[in-house]
Amino acid sequence: MKSLTIRNLSKTYFDVHAGANVTAVRDLSLEVPAGEFVSIVGPSGCGKTTLLNMIAGFIPHTGGEILVGGHPVKGPGPDRGVVFQSFALFPWRTVLDNVAFGPKMRGVGRAEREKIAHEYLALAKLSAAAGRYPNELSGGMQQRVGVVRALANDPDVLLMDEPFASVDAQTRMTLQEELTRIWEQKRPTVIFITHDVPEAVFLGNRVVALSKGRVLEEIAVDLPRPRVWDDLNEDDRFKALSGRVLQLVRSA
Amino acid sequence: MTPLLLRAWSRYLRLTTQWPSIGTIVPFIPLIVAWWIVTEMRAFPPAFLPGPAEVVRSFGSLVYTGVLPEYLQDSLVRLAIGSFWGIALGVPLGILVGLSQPAHKALWPVLLFFQAIGDIAWLPILVIWFGYGLTTMTVIIVYTVIFPVVLNTVLGVRSIPVNMHRAAQSLGASRTRMLWEVVLPGALPNIMTGLRNGLGYGWRALIATEIIVGTSGIGFLMFDARRAGSVVEILLGMIILGSLWYIVDSWILAPIERATGQRWGLVTK
Ligand SMILES: Nc1ncnc2c1ncn2[C@@H]1O[C@H](COP(=O)(O)OP(=O)(O)OP(=O)(O)O)[C@@H](O)[C@H]1O
Ligand SMILES: [Mg+2]
Repeated sequence: MKSLTIRNLSKTYFDVHAGANVTAVRDLSLEVPAGEFVSIVGPSGCGKTTLLNMIAGFIPHTGGEILVGGHPVKGPGPDRGVVFQSFALFPWRTVLDNVAFGPKMRGVGRAEREKIAHEYLALAKLSAAAGRYPNELSGGMQQRVGVVRALANDPDVLLMDEPFASVDAQTRMTLQEELTRIWEQKRPTVIFITHDVPEAVFLGNRVVALSKGRVLEEIAVDLPRPRVWDDLNEDDRFKALSGRVLQLVRSA
Repeated sequence: MTPLLLRAWSRYLRLTTQWPSIGTIVPFIPLIVAWWIVTEMRAFPPAFLPGPAEVVRSFGSLVYTGVLPEYLQDSLVRLAIGSFWGIALGVPLGILVGLSQPAHKALWPVLLFFQAIGDIAWLPILVIWFGYGLTTMTVIIVYTVIFPVVLNTVLGVRSIPVNMHRAAQSLGASRTRMLWEVVLPGALPNIMTGLRNGLGYGWRALIATEIIVGTSGIGFLMFDARRAGSVVEILLGMIILGSLWYIVDSWILAPIERATGQRWGLVTK
């Protein structure tokens, strides 16, 4: 597992059509020790996806630095798994092959990587869809495939951009519980972006609220684990924390 | 009256789902009937416009003497050779131009320039260089097939969503694997469109070339028939051209498209 260090990071886009600069992230610093689960919340357009894209190595930053496991990020790599806001599944591959893609790139043999893929698909209750193509699935199913595809590659750092946004409430709660369970087992470093405040608190060791490309405030979540909704739903500390984060987001 | 028509229509629909080839033939029936009526009315002299029966008879005798099968084979082999090279050169070139900005800058204007010089416009100089023969014809077909393939491949490569590349890279795909795993399948629907256009143009260019420089082939058959004043054989050649293209399209190209782009949801059905 790897730690993540972000120092004075900034990103300014140049909008070619408007002919103007847009600063999406400015002077942002964040320290995430190896194995920590950090939730990031903030209003739409505050730079969450931009931040994630820079950590993933998809886009260059215009200032500051990003260190993963002590090394500066130079480009994308399999040590940082990504779950995309828009799923980004390969339409030309079946669900099974999508999930087995990472192991395949690592050189894992067919039988072995399909076994891995089947295990992860079962976790997300997708076994029945293994042989289908992404365009034959509902939005929520596609999103779950996107999540298990990243998990099946066993990354050191997991970057997730609103991964449960288009899943129904019941499935979402199951997936949140599954994700905490997997996280407790494997302990990857997780950056989890969400608009859902209870979700941020339920999952994270820490909730970071962003506003206009900056860290507004960080709130430690010292709830015991393993966390399950049946325990936390009525928990006073959980409610108090959620209330605080909600206030923060609304003031952002 | 209406229920009867409806019943007939639903029977027709059932029949065509059972035997799809019937559905292909039926639209031509009114055409053939009209043609037959016009010739039966003797609107034109038979030597000017022969009827369907005579064309069928001429088809029979040309098959019997072996001329037609031989010419057909010649034309198809030329098309296959030309298409093979058109694809083998066109797809890699299209991927290069689609992926690499410098290659795009350097080659795009050249591609557009040469695309504008239509296939047949090359004939005069090719005949001087290579004479009347297979080389000239192959060059013409390759030339015709390659541009639609290249231009559409470039378009396909460039229309792959950036997140596809990102997803593959962050799952550990190397640059070379990206080619096979993302670029080629992502561009495939467009490559197929290019192929379809390319083969269509190539087929027409081949016939035109055979008419001008050929010594065999369907185009030559038609040209030869004109010399002999045999309108029957000219008509037969035209019908063969149309039917063959239909077969290539519906037996080879359409099934590939159904199994790829349509199955993946990248192309609407
Ligand atoms: N490629 C780009 N070119 C120019 N501006 C961009 C680009 N991508 C994002 N931006 C701008 O940067 C800002 C932050 O965008 P970003 O996508 O990071 O927001 P977000 O916090 O992920 O929002 P959401 O919650 O809606 O997903 C926005 O103002 C957006 O318009
Ligand atoms: Mg976003």
